[in-house]
Formats: sequence, C-alpha cells, structure tokens
Amino acid sequence: MAKFFSKLNILLLTIILGIAISFQIKNLNPKYKYVPLKVIYDYKKVIQKEKAEINNLRPLIESYKEKIQAYETAKDKDGDITSLLKNEISQFKTISGFTDVQGPGIILIIDDGSRKLYEGEDPNNIIVHNIDILNIINDLKVAGAEAISINGQRVLSNSEIDCNGPTIKINGQLFAQPFIVKAIGEPKHLEAAIKAPGTYGNLLKEVGLFIEVNTSINIRIPKYSEDLTFDFLQVKEGD
Amino acid sequence: MIIGILGIIIGVLIGFYIPVTFPTSYSLYLSVSILAAIDSVFGAIKASMEGYFNSTIFVTGFLGNAVIAGLLAYIGDKMGVPLYYAAIFAFGSRLFQNFAIIRRQLIEKFSKK
Repeated sequence: MAKFFSKLNILLLTIILGIAISFQIKNLNPKYKYVPLKVIYDYKKVIQKEKAEINNLRPLIESYKEKIQAYETAKDKDGDITSLLKNEISQFKTISGFTDVQGPGIILIIDDGSRKLYEGEDPNNIIVHNIDILNIINDLKVAGAEAISINGQRVLSNSEIDCNGPTIKINGQLFAQPFIVKAIGEPKHLEAAIKAPGTYGNLLKEVGLFIEVNTSINIRIPKYSEDLTFDFLQVKEGD
Repeated sequence: MIIGILGIIIGVLIGFYIPVTFPTSYSLYLSVSILAAIDSVFGAIKASMEGYFNSTIFVTGFLGNAVIAGLLAYIGDKMGVPLYYAAIFAFGSRLFQNFAIIRRQLIEKFSKK
C-alpha cells in the first residue's frame, strides 16, 4: 500500500512538472507576446478611428446604390442610360469649370494707385502685382467663392497668375490693369474678405491701390476657354 | 523511473491542451522552479537506484525546492541581485552529478549481466 502511494505521489508530481514545462514552452512561443496597456489603448484608438471611417463610408455606399438604382430604372424605362450619363457629364463639367455659370457674388476692380509718390518712394508700392491678385483670390476662396474669373478668364486649379512685366499672365493670356475679378458665392462674405480691416485687400487700399468691390445678385462667369492637356498625368487604377 | 517519464508526458499533454497562460514576467521564476523540480526527479531516480528512495523526502524536496527556487529568483529580482543564477548553478551542477551517478549505476548493472 505504501509503495502504491509513493508511486502515486511520483506520478502526480511529475504530471505537475510536465504541466509547468509545457506552460513554459507555450509562454516562450513567439506567437504569444507581452502587450503593455498602452499598446492596447493605442490599438483601441485605431479601431475606433477605423470604425468612424466605416460609418462615414456607409452613406457613400447608399448614394452609390441610389445611383445604380437610377441607372437601372432609366434602362428599364427608356432602354438606355444615355440621358442620365449626359446629365452626369454636364454636372461634372459644372464642377470642373467647363460651363458658363451664374449666381450672386461680387465684382472686384483692382487698379494701380493714382496718388502721388512720396519723395524717394518705390513706385512698386502702388502698382498691382501678381502676388496681390493671388492673395486676394485665396482670400475669396477662403470666404467660400465657388467660381472665380479674372478679366474673363476662369480660374481653375491649374490657372497660373504670373508676373509678366507691366502685365499679368492668367491661363496663358496677358492682361493689363485694371483687373476685374468676379466671384460667385455669398456676396456679404466675399465683400468682407476684401474690405474688412486686416485683410489683404484692405491693406492694399491703405497703401494706395485702387480697389472697388460691388456686390451683385447675378454674375456671369465664363467657362474655361483655353485647352487643357496633360502630358504626365495618368489615371491610377484601383485605390 | 518509467512512472516518472509517463507522468511528465501526461503533464505536457495536459498543459498543452488546457488554454491557460500566465504573464511573461513570471516566466523566469517558473523556469527556475522547473529546474529545481527536474533536479528533484533526478535525485529520486538516483535514490531509487541506490535503494533508499523515500517518498516523503521526494515530495517535500520536489515542492520545497521548486517554491524556494522561484521565491529566490523573485527576491533577487526585487533586490536587483540576480539570485536565480545561484539556483541555476546549484541545481544544474547537482543535476549533472546525479545524472553521472545514475549513468554509472546503469552501466554497472548492465555490465554485471
């Protein structure tokens, strides 16, 4: 009986030893890694961010589904989707600036100053430069301008406003002063972006340039009339 | 001896199948405890071959050595002294001694036949 108990003891203890050894082996397995709380917190944050993004994408899916639905109904009704596509093309043309547009906005006239120079003053101070136009255009964009033209040239994302001696080059065309900037948007905001104290337009006026802002309930802005060619640009497939 | 090996195999299988893990920071203490336990098993094999195996001594030695080795490593960690080296050294050297004795006994046993 005593021998049986001693054997049982040995068996039990060696089983414990085996369990401990296997625990240790499992623990040293590189698959299991020590993860501090901070890392877990970071992962949680990332997950939350991704979830928020997924939630943002859901309405997009809905809108695409609606679009597909519209295509399908158009196909069922008329047999083809040409009219729908044409609508879409005109919409994209409006967005990209290839259609004439109209709406409320402002007309801004910028000209060289007519005041007399102080003795020894640099005449550049009262001359309109391309940087002045650029800054004002940017102010208008900040104020929510939806379409901008300068002397009849539509300003697009690739429109240059370049100094060219006494003239300024816009979309490859040369223009002398005065510069007439038209912008469609909330007229009050656009006016304030030029006139309010501390803005760039106000500064120019203080210096002595001629700046005049008129709001209008209906402004026509012409489409982009130059040709637009891409030599280096390629459409990337997928994401 | 056979019962010991059987026990270890059963233990390893059980350990791999139960889904329990413990923090890696305790890994060192467990490893020292395992070393102590293995030393006890070798000691028991040696004793049984020499014929004076006592199950009480084995059980107390097994548990006591394991606990003390783990505790020593823990205290050493807290004090900044790597005391587990002492445990590894002591148990390791005794383990090899015991193994040498077991080997000698086995060779004598087989050469007598």
